[in-house]
Amino acid sequence: MGMRGYILGRAVQILLTLWVILTLLFFLFRLGLPDPTLALISEGLSPEDRMLVAERFGLGRPLWQQYFIYLRNVMSGELGTSFHYKAPVAGIVGEKFLNTMVLMLPAILVAYGIGQLLGVLLAWKRGTRLEFTGGSLGLIFRSAPMFWTGMLFIMVFGISLGWFPTSGMRTLPYEATGFLDKIFTLDFLRHLFLPMLVIALYYAGLPMLIMRNTMLEVMGEDFIEFCKARGLSMRRIMYRHAARNALLPIVTQAAITVGLAVGGQVVVEVVFSWPGLGLEMLQAVRTSDYPLAQASFMLMAVMILILNFATDLVYGKLDPRVVYS
Amino acid sequence: MRFDALRVLWQTIRQDRLALFGVVVLCCLIVIALFAPLVATHDPTAMNHRVEGTVFWYRDGEWLIQESVGEWTLNAVAFFDEENAIAVGNHGEVLQYSAGSWEREEVPTTAQLHGVAFREDLVVVVGEKGTILEKRAGAWVKVHAPVDADLFAVSLAPGSRKALVAGAGGTVLRRRNDIWEKLETGAAEDLLAVSLPAEETGFIVGRRNVILHYDGENLHRQMVMGFRDLYDVHAPAENQALAVGERGTILYFTGNSWSTMYGPEARDLRGVRLTGEDTAVAVGSHGVILRLQDGQWTREDTGYRRHLRGMDAYEGMLIASGTDPYVNSLARPSQEHWFGTTHLGRDIYSQVVYGSRAALLVGFLAAIMVAVIGTNVGLFAGYFKGRVDGLLMRVVDIMYALPLEPFAMILVLLTRPGLAIIIFAVGLLTWRTTARIIRSQVLSLAARPFVKAAKVAGASDLRILYIHIAPNILPLAFLQLAVSVAFAITAEATLSFLGLGPPRIYSWGTILHEARLSGAWRTAWWWIIPPGVLIMITVVSVFFISRALEVLTNPRLGKR
Repeated sequence: MGMRGYILGRAVQILLTLWVILTLLFFLFRLGLPDPTLALISEGLSPEDRMLVAERFGLGRPLWQQYFIYLRNVMSGELGTSFHYKAPVAGIVGEKFLNTMVLMLPAILVAYGIGQLLGVLLAWKRGTRLEFTGGSLGLIFRSAPMFWTGMLFIMVFGISLGWFPTSGMRTLPYEATGFLDKIFTLDFLRHLFLPMLVIALYYAGLPMLIMRNTMLEVMGEDFIEFCKARGLSMRRIMYRHAARNALLPIVTQAAITVGLAVGGQVVVEVVFSWPGLGLEMLQAVRTSDYPLAQASFMLMAVMILILNFATDLVYGKLDPRVVYS
Repeated sequence: MRFDALRVLWQTIRQDRLALFGVVVLCCLIVIALFAPLVATHDPTAMNHRVEGTVFWYRDGEWLIQESVGEWTLNAVAFFDEENAIAVGNHGEVLQYSAGSWEREEVPTTAQLHGVAFREDLVVVVGEKGTILEKRAGAWVKVHAPVDADLFAVSLAPGSRKALVAGAGGTVLRRRNDIWEKLETGAAEDLLAVSLPAEETGFIVGRRNVILHYDGENLHRQMVMGFRDLYDVHAPAENQALAVGERGTILYFTGNSWSTMYGPEARDLRGVRLTGEDTAVAVGSHGVILRLQDGQWTREDTGYRRHLRGMDAYEGMLIASGTDPYVNSLARPSQEHWFGTTHLGRDIYSQVVYGSRAALLVGFLAAIMVAVIGTNVGLFAGYFKGRVDGLLMRVVDIMYALPLEPFAMILVLLTRPGLAIIIFAVGLLTWRTTARIIRSQVLSLAARPFVKAAKVAGASDLRILYIHIAPNILPLAFLQLAVSVAFAITAEATLSFLGLGPPRIYSWGTILHEARLSGAWRTAWWWIIPPGVLIMITVVSVFFISRALEVLTNPRLGKR
């Protein structure tokens, strides 16, 4: 089977997996969450009015009919209307998704950039005090729960020292005509700094350790000896030759991390009141806002499945030994 | 075989200093969790009340609070001059103020002390069950009282050693020629306060508006309207007196009759002093302080809300004392509460101790669930390959696509918050990684000669899986177990932090959840640091152990 066949096969697999996930979530929501007409409708509404609302959102029909309507709508790209916002779900999820991404991507970038460089350093300084301290510090940062570091940072840098704002994306009230207008400001960067730092510190430990471990394996290989024999400087060998060959596991991990990042770090968003997708998911589940919850779960699943797939493809490009079958 | 694996495990850990540290820490935590009721100093859910002696000074135009000068409620206070004062309280507490600090006096009683009077050569203290103490020539003596009723107040006449004492059930004692005698009063109510402006005149007040006038020999009941209890009286002169009492009652004496004054306060007033011709100060419950000026009572807000029980004045200086038991909320770390208290006065140290139970329980149970599911899925997928593999790996894909926090919230809404749900959620969603890792290992193992040999020898698939292959992936499974423990502990903390934990059971995450809900966490560092540090220590210990195990699965990492 060639490349084309492989891609096709995987695509079918992904669609099937997605269908299972959507079905699972559909029934889990309907059976598990409290009746949305209770959460959705303000008190003092008569039963007739409630029926009317239920009818409008299609909640009056039998479950299996709702399910097929839902599947049809999803296939035609129609995600429905949020019970809570009374607005199309696609727009809301899109906005929240962007909000999450402007927080998560810089954080991951910083974490993987720093983590990789430190990982190389640790492998290079094998057996020294530096490796011991660096490795332990990485583990310690990874073992502190993010919501806790977030609270500490808010307490120290936000409240005691007053250097950074502690909640939201912008100081209220603000005016912005579009998303870019909203984020290309100093005010936004100030809001971004603390939550980004919290996430980056937590994430940096993993690439560091992975990099160290792969580097140790790579350093045992012959071409390193050859480089040494050529008289290259140790720094050049480490960062140019060895590190390049140790990138593969990091790429995999980065892709997985980005995939999971779609849902955001829920707790960080909670602590910093960041209006992201993670916070929205919790809110949607809590208020039984089925369309919104389904759309955000779906977005997350799609991203993870596609990124996993992409990783496998990139793997092949980076490592010619991998064969698709 | 099994014992071999355990021995290798132990030897690996023993060689790594950090891993050994991790094991020791985990063992300590397990002991703490098991013996939590013994290790904790308080009930983690109980509101802790607190009693302390507080004095409130008024000097140079401003109020100054001195907290915790003693351990007991201070019921009364008396000035001698601006450098000397005495406060008395429950449990035989006598505090003397001199040269700027309060010192505890050793007295021969532990009774509750209610009243004090202070002269240069004589201090008289009275208290429950007929307790009378005198300090003469620097020594405290317990005096035999002619009654055993509770005594509530004492007053010494200026420049003399004559005194009057008021007590329960209409008791009045007089000190004359260094001898205590009982006076006939005709009153049956408790008498709560006394004031002697001179040797032959004085006022005594008590419950149900009782006011007695003392003429140097006898007591006469004065007619006053009303039934409110009177708590304190102050008479700087024969024809001038002020009495205060229940629910803001203020009575004023002008030579021949008592009249009611109207104050701005409906709370009980416990102490009053005239500070000049027509100025006065009264104190009472909930930190109430009233000041009389130009015929008007006005409230002075000091921000202090605990009960004030007695007061005295000296040339423009005032001193008041308290307090009743109060909820010891948001207290900083102290000897009583090692990690301070929450906004409800709950002991944080005890909460943290009990919190270790939830963390370890969830951590280990969920991790075992993860290891069992993950290892088995990995074994089957890796060994049988083909359809079984495809199906199981699709399930893994599904699990990867479900975010933990919202999913756990669905589960909680589906049933109700509890540790079991958290264990279930963590266990269900995180076996995916273990399964993948084990699978890839099994894939390579299944191609080895010893598996083929077993097949040729006629061993069944299950036998090959569990007898021949499983022992080889055991180190990897243990490594994954350790990683899962760390993840499960963090996940439990996270879910509890989001309020999905069981109510009324403390876990480290729940403590932080409460701190966030209360809003006090922004300043109460003692509330959020201990649980977080414990999560960190626990997780990092597990990490250290898992790092040692990593060497076992990948020997190249161990080479130096």
